[in-house]
Amino acid sequence: MEKGQKLGYAEKKFSLWLVAAALIHALVIVLAIYLQILDANRLVKPKIVSVSIVSLPGSGGSSELSPKGGSQAAPAPSPEAPHPAGSSKSVTVKEALPEVEPVTPKKEPKPAKVKEHVPEAAPVPPKKVAVEPLPVNAKPKAVDKPADISKALERLKQTVDKKTASTSPTSAGSLNNALARLQQKVKSEGGPASTGSGSGKGSSYGGKSGAGKGYGGGGPSAPYQAQIASIIMQNWDFSKMMLKNSYGMEVYVRINILADGTIKQIVFDKKAPSEYLNISVKKALEKSSPLPALPKQEAAGEVWIGFVFTPEGIEKK
Amino acid sequence: MVDSYLGIFGLLSDAGPVVLFVLFVLLSFSIVSWAIIAYKFTYVRKSLSESRAFLDYFFEIYNVDKAFSESEKYRKGSLPRVFRSGYVEYHALGDKVDIRQLRVRIARAVKREANAESKRLSSLIPFLATVGNTAPFIGLFGTVWGIMTSFHNIGKAQSASLAAVAPGISEALIATAAGLAAAIPAVMAYNYFTHQISIIERDLEEFSPEFVAAFINEP
Repeated sequence: MEKGQKLGYAEKKFSLWLVAAALIHALVIVLAIYLQILDANRLVKPKIVSVSIVSLPGSGGSSELSPKGGSQAAPAPSPEAPHPAGSSKSVTVKEALPEVEPVTPKKEPKPAKVKEHVPEAAPVPPKKVAVEPLPVNAKPKAVDKPADISKALERLKQTVDKKTASTSPTSAGSLNNALARLQQKVKSEGGPASTGSGSGKGSSYGGKSGAGKGYGGGGPSAPYQAQIASIIMQNWDFSKMMLKNSYGMEVYVRINILADGTIKQIVFDKKAPSEYLNISVKKALEKSSPLPALPKQEAAGEVWIGFVFTPEGIEKK
Repeated sequence: MVDSYLGIFGLLSDAGPVVLFVLFVLLSFSIVSWAIIAYKFTYVRKSLSESRAFLDYFFEIYNVDKAFSESEKYRKGSLPRVFRSGYVEYHALGDKVDIRQLRVRIARAVKREANAESKRLSSLIPFLATVGNTAPFIGLFGTVWGIMTSFHNIGKAQSASLAAVAPGISEALIATAAGLAAAIPAVMAYNYFTHQISIIERDLEEFSPEFVAAFINEP
């Protein structure tokens, strides 16, 4: 009887320890998960990002052509970033990644910067694309005085006209050569992209809904997308060996291309946990600007094209 | 994106059923091992400290009645328990048997209790040895299985890039890590407890004849 009681007591005590051990294990696992999340968040936090972060305004919006006056589907830049004049009414601004530091007003006035028309993948010094105000049809939202803006725009227009006039015929020739070379490359690489299935190397992810005219993959502008994807790929200086873990490493990025091929704005819709990948994508896009001029049918407006950068390359989404 | 935030734990969401089962088994092993470690640690420590305190008292007074009443304070000590069993036998027999028989009967009672105490002390300890020996192999099995599955999927995907290979292998290696995490404390605790229990058993062996002698020679 006494032995039985002793045994019962021992069993009870052991059961208590068992429950305690289970609780401690659960606690350790939860703590480890929490630390992992904390660590991942720390990695994601960018130091200084000078591009605007805006979410897609709607399905298929990113790939649509946006006329100069601004359209409903065109994505709006964030308050810090420059945006097309007149488009502020029709779009909503959302920050996709709140941790990005707001761009200080210091960076805004750089009107003298004009993109050169070299659609080459040749080493072009990296230029700030999105952070700088657009030469012609952009104005920084933070500036309140419309009179100053109009003056600045006038000055910009004049600068652009001068630059365009001073472009030598030799550079035009090299542009044609480069275009021909790229066209050839696109024909050899980007065949499937023009079949309508959207399986080209670089194509937009914005046209998922299929609504609206645009670069939703396999459309008439698929060769152009393949061409610019190839250029960006060439300028992308990235080694996936530098990544600790390639899991979830995707960068969703949209670029706003003007008719002359200049990248007006870079918008990161989703960043990868690795800053190295994010920065390399940004640099590649900056390096690739200006891209070849838009095809004739879209030359009147500007266009948004989306890409998904993964450690394996630029993908279609 | 959530997966990348969760790191290695995020990889488990893609793990196959075999790897998950292996991890579940290892987690159970680990929980039971730690419960045994905590339970035995308190038990063995208490037994050792009470045995020492009782021995000090016993050799100080060398009186079985007083030693018996003192041993009631040490309910968890191994040596006081053995002494109590001898004392109970001694009082039960009283003057009914001659001194030779009395010695034999007391020695037998003391021996029986010493054996029971030894069993009590070493109960659950073999489980630690089992975990220490088998957990790495169970983990290894999970890893081998995970890598097999991973390579099979890589073959299907027809891509041998690091990005395709690494997550599967990383996921599979979690099983080995879990096996080692379960086995290492179990082996360490097993070695510690066997050493402590051997000390108590040696004490039981050495002092049992002393107890018998104390009962027989009592005036």
